[in-house]
Amino acid sequence: MSSRITSCAALMIFVLNAANLHGDTYTPGHPNGITLENFARDFLNSHCVDCHSGQDPEAGLDLEGLGPIDEVTVDVWRNVWAQVTLNEMPPPEVDPPEVVARLKFSDWIVQSLQSELSDEGGFKDPFDPAKGNFVDHDLLFGELPVGIRLVPTASPARLWRVTPQEHITRFNELINREPDFDPEKPGQRTRGDVVPTNHGGELKLYFGTDRIIKWQGGTVAYATAVKSVPVVLSTARDHGFENYPELYTVNSAEATQILGVAEDLIKYMAYGPLSIANAYQITDEPDSIADKMKGDLRGLPTSIVYGTQVKRPITPIYHLLGDAEGQRQEEVSEKLITEAVEYLFEALTFRPPSVDETATYVQIVLDSVGQLGRKDGVILGLSAIFLDRDALFRPELVEVGEPDASGRVKLQDWELGLALNHALSYLPPDETLRASIVSGEMRTREDVERELTRILGDEAIRKPRLLRFFREFFDYDLGGYICKDNRALADTGVNTGAHYRAMFDATASTDRLIEEVLRDDQDVLRRLLTTQQVVVSNSDKVYFGRRRNDDEEAASIKEANLAAKEAAEKAKAELEAWKAANPGKNPPKPKKTRTPTINHKVAEAELAGERVYARVSRRSFGAGSMKPERQLGEAPEGQRLGVLTHPTWLVSHSDAMDNHAIRRGRWVRERLLGGGIPDVPITVDAMLPDEPGKTLRERMRVTRDAYCWTCHKKMDPLGLPFEMYNHAGLYRESELGEPVDTRGEVIESGDPALDGEVADALELIGRLAENQRVEQVFVRHAFRFWMGRNETIHDRDVLQNAHRAYRDSGGSMNALLVSLLTSDAFLYRRPADESL
Amino acid sequence: MPAEHLKGIVVLNRRNLLRGLVSGMGAAVGSPLTTENLLSAATVGPKGEVKFTPANTTPKRVIFFLQNQGFDPRTCVPEGAKRSGELNQWKLPEPIQALEPYKDRLHIINGLHGTHTSPSHSAFFGALGGYRGGDGVPPSASTIDYELSQILPETLMPHLCIGMDSIENMRSKPTIATLSASGAGQPIFMHSNPNHLYQMLYGGISSGDIRKQHEARSSVMNRIEQLAAAKGQGLPQADVQRYGQFVDGFRDVNGLRERLATVSDHLKQFAPEVDSRYTNPEYETDWHDVLLDLGVSALRSGITNTLTIGSGRGEIFGAWKGIGVEQQGHNLGHMTQPGNPIWIKIRQYNSEMLVRTMKALESVPEGNGTMMDNTLIVYTSNNADKQHTNGANWPVMLLGNLDGAFKTGCFTQLDGKRPINSLYTTLLNVAGKPCDRFNMNEKLAKKFDSGEGVLREVLA
Repeated sequence: MSSRITSCAALMIFVLNAANLHGDTYTPGHPNGITLENFARDFLNSHCVDCHSGQDPEAGLDLEGLGPIDEVTVDVWRNVWAQVTLNEMPPPEVDPPEVVARLKFSDWIVQSLQSELSDEGGFKDPFDPAKGNFVDHDLLFGELPVGIRLVPTASPARLWRVTPQEHITRFNELINREPDFDPEKPGQRTRGDVVPTNHGGELKLYFGTDRIIKWQGGTVAYATAVKSVPVVLSTARDHGFENYPELYTVNSAEATQILGVAEDLIKYMAYGPLSIANAYQITDEPDSIADKMKGDLRGLPTSIVYGTQVKRPITPIYHLLGDAEGQRQEEVSEKLITEAVEYLFEALTFRPPSVDETATYVQIVLDSVGQLGRKDGVILGLSAIFLDRDALFRPELVEVGEPDASGRVKLQDWELGLALNHALSYLPPDETLRASIVSGEMRTREDVERELTRILGDEAIRKPRLLRFFREFFDYDLGGYICKDNRALADTGVNTGAHYRAMFDATASTDRLIEEVLRDDQDVLRRLLTTQQVVVSNSDKVYFGRRRNDDEEAASIKEANLAAKEAAEKAKAELEAWKAANPGKNPPKPKKTRTPTINHKVAEAELAGERVYARVSRRSFGAGSMKPERQLGEAPEGQRLGVLTHPTWLVSHSDAMDNHAIRRGRWVRERLLGGGIPDVPITVDAMLPDEPGKTLRERMRVTRDAYCWTCHKKMDPLGLPFEMYNHAGLYRESELGEPVDTRGEVIESGDPALDGEVADALELIGRLAENQRVEQVFVRHAFRFWMGRNETIHDRDVLQNAHRAYRDSGGSMNALLVSLLTSDAFLYRRPADESL
Repeated sequence: MPAEHLKGIVVLNRRNLLRGLVSGMGAAVGSPLTTENLLSAATVGPKGEVKFTPANTTPKRVIFFLQNQGFDPRTCVPEGAKRSGELNQWKLPEPIQALEPYKDRLHIINGLHGTHTSPSHSAFFGALGGYRGGDGVPPSASTIDYELSQILPETLMPHLCIGMDSIENMRSKPTIATLSASGAGQPIFMHSNPNHLYQMLYGGISSGDIRKQHEARSSVMNRIEQLAAAKGQGLPQADVQRYGQFVDGFRDVNGLRERLATVSDHLKQFAPEVDSRYTNPEYETDWHDVLLDLGVSALRSGITNTLTIGSGRGEIFGAWKGIGVEQQGHNLGHMTQPGNPIWIKIRQYNSEMLVRTMKALESVPEGNGTMMDNTLIVYTSNNADKQHTNGANWPVMLLGNLDGAFKTGCFTQLDGKRPINSLYTTLLNVAGKPCDRFNMNEKLAKKFDSGEGVLREVLA
């Protein structure tokens, strides 16, 4: 392996050197031979030092005589890299450097910073998903500048840690059997869909909920009594893409926890509810054990009654350990152990074990049995498989296959099959795909296209990764995690006690809306940005409603009081009439009626529509559970337009007290316009003044200072149009007693057709949704999500082909996916450590 | 993911990455049993400013004891204590009477708040994190016990969490994570099965079944490490470091076990005797007692510097049948605590545990005094003052002074305008990590904190 890598690397270096030596062309990503003295110093002197030198250098940054990249100058160079790479510097009013010179300079800084920071993990900025847009959009979709030589693209060979969602789905598959897809009720959670977060937003695996037929107490009691484990693998997701291979490993705390969870899972696979409950709790007639269920058992595992029908998958683990006939003996069958090892290995790694792997794990089990006896030994020994490298990381190492002329090796067989499978699914490859892999029919572009087209065309094969892309692209799923100040939240007009659950409910609704759009698979991005359709639950009448102004609120209260008064007078009159008609008799007791709670702050939206379903936690958690029933309705015309105006997105981009116009603007700048924002300088105290009587727009005046505005002009005017909604996502026309100011502007978007003022968010969205550049930026993000890396200039063709496929198909996500997943960037890996 | 309001706040240094990663899981990286003292001593200058100066080289430790269902101030504040004052002028209330002989080490604090933590039923991770928590809500940042474990003088296993519950729950869910976290979305498990915990801490010096389990587990973990290392051969350079952390994790776990074995003679002095309460508990309190013994032994032996005890495991249930409390679970929280025989029993049981802990630590000489001299116990609830509460009052008792840093022998009545975060900020500062706030940004602080920095009222 290593010698092959070495030869690949040598081949690559030869190719690149040959390319760089070929006339005056430059191969981006390979600043071979460039040094500070022979190139970078001249670049600085020609383009930077005029302003950044002398007694009063621009921004206080003196670049004259800036030393080589070392631990003292590293922050300055990092900043220079960002400014030059983003075309922020030199400023537009001075002659720009040649494109090639800019690329060379930028690449040289990256290479030097990587070398300088090698002991600290290297210079990661170019690989940060939040900095994907640092590659100039025009270099990808415009004309290729003269003097640039591209090489065939590929992604690096790599290990890709499984995501928390994948990991918990693998565990869930071991112990729970989810329902099959019901075409009559698309949206209901079915096998292959992601394990939903619970009512509090936590990703947890529950044991035996499919057999629970009775319990004591409500939501909290149930959740406490049921056996559950939280997801173990962690991510640091905030906003944006979370799953680049670069980002994660498995630490020792996680590994130790996985071992513990593994033992619980194996026990449940073998013994079912008996592994977590007493035998008497398993009955179809709960009344028959009434004597054992006396007293307050709420929150205890003994409060639960399980039905007798076996629901979990029956696997070789059951045959090895369980109570199947003939399996009570103490001796251990090596054959059964082998079957259990082979089953569990494939269930956890999605590929069959090699002969050596099987032998290794069988021996571990046998050794443990020798030490601990059958039951404990098997459980401990099998749990080792949960910590196999390939149960936690998906390898794309191209250990098989020959490099092509440019040093790339094509994925094949299991690596290619699992890469394709992972692109869409959290389950193991289905039978057809598995058969293709095993029979050697997963090696070519055509093989991938055949399987991909089949899978995309079958709605019953669930594709949670597709939805995951949209969650991470839009970032609409964070609302339930934004901590709100209760008073500020109450002022928005929503029910503060039910807000967080409403947000998780609403996230499931937006999921469903996206799936509805994907089902049609036409004009996907534009529809998501502009649809009037909404998937809603009952609480959305408020969230999609309109916040009344003070006068309207007062009028509503007055009207309610008047109605109450009239009702009381009417009741009194009726009582008098009754007494008159029934002298001497006691009037009947008035019927108790519940006074309806009127939300005077909000004019609720009319959203009724056809019944649809959304994916929520599997089991009812009593009154506090989320319900799958939803309606597919229409949002109020003139108030909403697409996902960016839905409460899920708006709240996800808000903070405890107010809207977060900067974050919203940043989202538009990065995800739709393809612009990049440098990191906030560490010297900047990024705080808005706390002025309760002032609007957010007024308080954001501080970002207009020249030093701040360079970056903030890219964000603030794009976020402020969303001031037409309050921070719970309700539409509003006034703020602090005045008409709300919703003006904004698109500045320096890169497409003059987009630039200019807008009256509000609806105009902004409408303008963006029709734009080709916006589509291209969407394609760039899809590339990142599915390739697990930032695009480079060498991916030009892949991106342009993907965009063409999307456009030519009328905006089909499936067409976009087929193009991306049959591209060289997806199919090929570069084993050498080349950073193209 | 970090909650929005926590961003950029108190990004605490990790002395090294791996050590942080293993905290709370019974695994830690190699080091001597104790290292140099990183603590500082806090003093208040003539102008009221708080200064922290390097202290002696003695190790330090902190214990968090959280009883669920709330800590009603009327069960701890002496009758007649309307204002701050010396405790020696009052008699402690019946529920905490066991602490009467320790009044000079006690500081009762009334009037912190946790309204921003949503503590009704339980603030869960928010109780020790000082942020919004709730049933099923993942941690949005690290918690104070974890952070302290990272900056207190280094031990083999910096942080240990134990949880006490009904026997059924401890058996069906022997580990659970509801109170402590090492970061956003990164809960730390607490241990509730004393047999498992004993094996983890003292497997190397045990005998019988525990020894067998320990050896078998050691053998499997060694094989896993070998397999992980073998599958790391020939990886691309870019993955070597990342995958190396995975392999190193096993080396750390296995290394800890080996290092514990090397100090087995030392550990033998502190390991509790395993008796029938471990294997055949009559009541849940048998396990509560031995869990406490194990936790305290980990402190006494120097294995750990931070112990978190969750009585009721951060939830709204729990059982104490062994002390004559027949009712269990949620109803306990619906009862008024003052004057309630049930709650008097539970609080007395807690107090006896606190006394037992102090006595155990007093029995170990350290520096010029005893281990207790360098210890702080923080006793409170994950539920503020009661089960259904808005968190406007969050009573706390401190026991010990952490080498003279904290004021003792007194009752302090605060005005309800400083959050529990301010107490945690104080702990961090005293432990040597200067910061103005813990898990609270300026925006929230304007609303929830009338002050800034340490809680001066608690410092010596």
